[in-house]
Amino acid sequence: MSRSYHSIQIDKKKCVGCVICMKACPTKAIRILNEKAKIIEALCVDCGECYRVCPYGAVIPLTTSYADLKKYKYKVALPTPSLYTQFGWEVRPNQILLALKKIGFDYVYDEAWMCEMVSAAIEEYIRENSTPKPKISTVCPAVVRLITFLYPNLVNHIIPINVPREIAAKFLRNKLSKELNLKQDEIGIIHITSCPAKMVSINNPIGLSHSQLDGAISVKDIYSKILKALKNLDEEIIVHQSSGVGLGWAISGGEINGINIDNCLPVSGVSDVIEILDDIEAGKLNEIEYLECLICPAGCVGGPQNIVNRHFAKQKAENLIRMYGNKTRISRKMVKGYYKDGFFMLDEKVKPHSLPPLDNDPVKAIKKRQEIEKILKMLGGKECGACGAPDCKTLAKDIVQNKADINDCVFLKNPGS
Amino acid sequence: MDDKELFKKNFFVKGSDFANAGEVSIEIKNILKEIGYNSEVVRRVAIAAYEAEMNMVMYGGDGEINFTVNSSQVKIDLEDHGIGIADINLAMQKGYSTATEEMREMGFGAGMGLPNIKKNSDDFKIFSEVGKGTRLKIIIMNK
Repeated sequence: MSRSYHSIQIDKKKCVGCVICMKACPTKAIRILNEKAKIIEALCVDCGECYRVCPYGAVIPLTTSYADLKKYKYKVALPTPSLYTQFGWEVRPNQILLALKKIGFDYVYDEAWMCEMVSAAIEEYIRENSTPKPKISTVCPAVVRLITFLYPNLVNHIIPINVPREIAAKFLRNKLSKELNLKQDEIGIIHITSCPAKMVSINNPIGLSHSQLDGAISVKDIYSKILKALKNLDEEIIVHQSSGVGLGWAISGGEINGINIDNCLPVSGVSDVIEILDDIEAGKLNEIEYLECLICPAGCVGGPQNIVNRHFAKQKAENLIRMYGNKTRISRKMVKGYYKDGFFMLDEKVKPHSLPPLDNDPVKAIKKRQEIEKILKMLGGKECGACGAPDCKTLAKDIVQNKADINDCVFLKNPGS
Repeated sequence: MDDKELFKKNFFVKGSDFANAGEVSIEIKNILKEIGYNSEVVRRVAIAAYEAEMNMVMYGGDGEINFTVNSSQVKIDLEDHGIGIADINLAMQKGYSTATEEMREMGFGAGMGLPNIKKNSDDFKIFSEVGKGTRLKIIIMNK
């Protein structure tokens, strides 16, 4: 996997070089150089925290634009279950799917239905494979990246089950190209997403030889079109088929709700995710079977490209779960059959992509690490970010790697005093 | 350790400070990642250091963790001034624990701490005196 593609860019015209995004970045991937934020691509996991906090609109997520759809003869929409939570209490999933059809998609697929199947497939996998514990969900691309970069020895915990959006896209491309006599590349399968990280998983997939999706349009970019289309719908057609089990994938706890196994744990929000991954590395949580791990607070409803407040969205998701019932209508026998055929599996093993050490020569790396401790004592410890690094420790690390200078510190203590 | 380049750091651990417990072992782990230690070794250190740090928080009163690393091995020496261990052989048995009700409620006290440290170290020594405290010497090789 190359790390060359990222879903987030800085608009240098809008960026004023403040420290807000740099401070918010959980992997310390941002520096301020010449009064502009710069993302260190090798460290970025595409979580979207910088986009969330930037007050100047200078962090630009690179999702697919609506205009890009034109190049496909046949357009398919695959909406995240969290899209259903973005409208008023009375708006039903079926209406939203029909609205997507009305605004130009030839076909809409209720991804939440595939989510139900995947929950069942995960259950099959856990029943067959007792170790390692806990297994970790693949559904959040930012979490998978965080693990491969910063927790490389946990990659074997990542469950080799593919994500619903990819499985659905593969299934639909085959089905529709046969039924409609279309070439596979004439079909554009577009995920409607609440976060830019999905773009990275499309352009730089992990565990897949290539993505089956052709792009991802953000909820934000398509919202007003859907709102308009919701008026005067022909509601005779039923496209929505998922129960509360699939709809629940929009929120933290939704994925494991469909897994009928004890000791599954949902975690959401970037700081909690990091804390739990540290716990697993320390050998804790080995009684947990499965970890549903989502980088956004409250789950995908908290995605940075959603519209409504995540608490409202979560409540809407819970209402939908009650309304459509907590019992799946998928056939377990059918899932078992597909599971045996490998339908749900990733193409390849997830590989670690550890960050480079301070130096490739371990003796030199140790020396540099000692140097960091010495430099830290000289820095002010104010953690202000004025030097262009997010905190004193990161500045010290940059200094020993010749990426920054000690005089960048505005609070530098006089070493002689 | 005869290797010229040594990294040393001392940490102070406060007894019964459950809110911050585990932070030293995270820092030790992260230092090894920065140095570029083999990830399986990092994991063994993370587990051993965590268990040892937790023992110190639970039983050790206050204590000190002495962390030394060169390119071939990690040494973690822990010394606390806690209650001490009356019967080390018993304490080394899997499942044996003197954890209080309160500790068990927090999910500790499965009696796996010391056996787990031993399992993950290449060399492990323990000295203890009741009423005075406990010392652990852990060595893990960078293989």
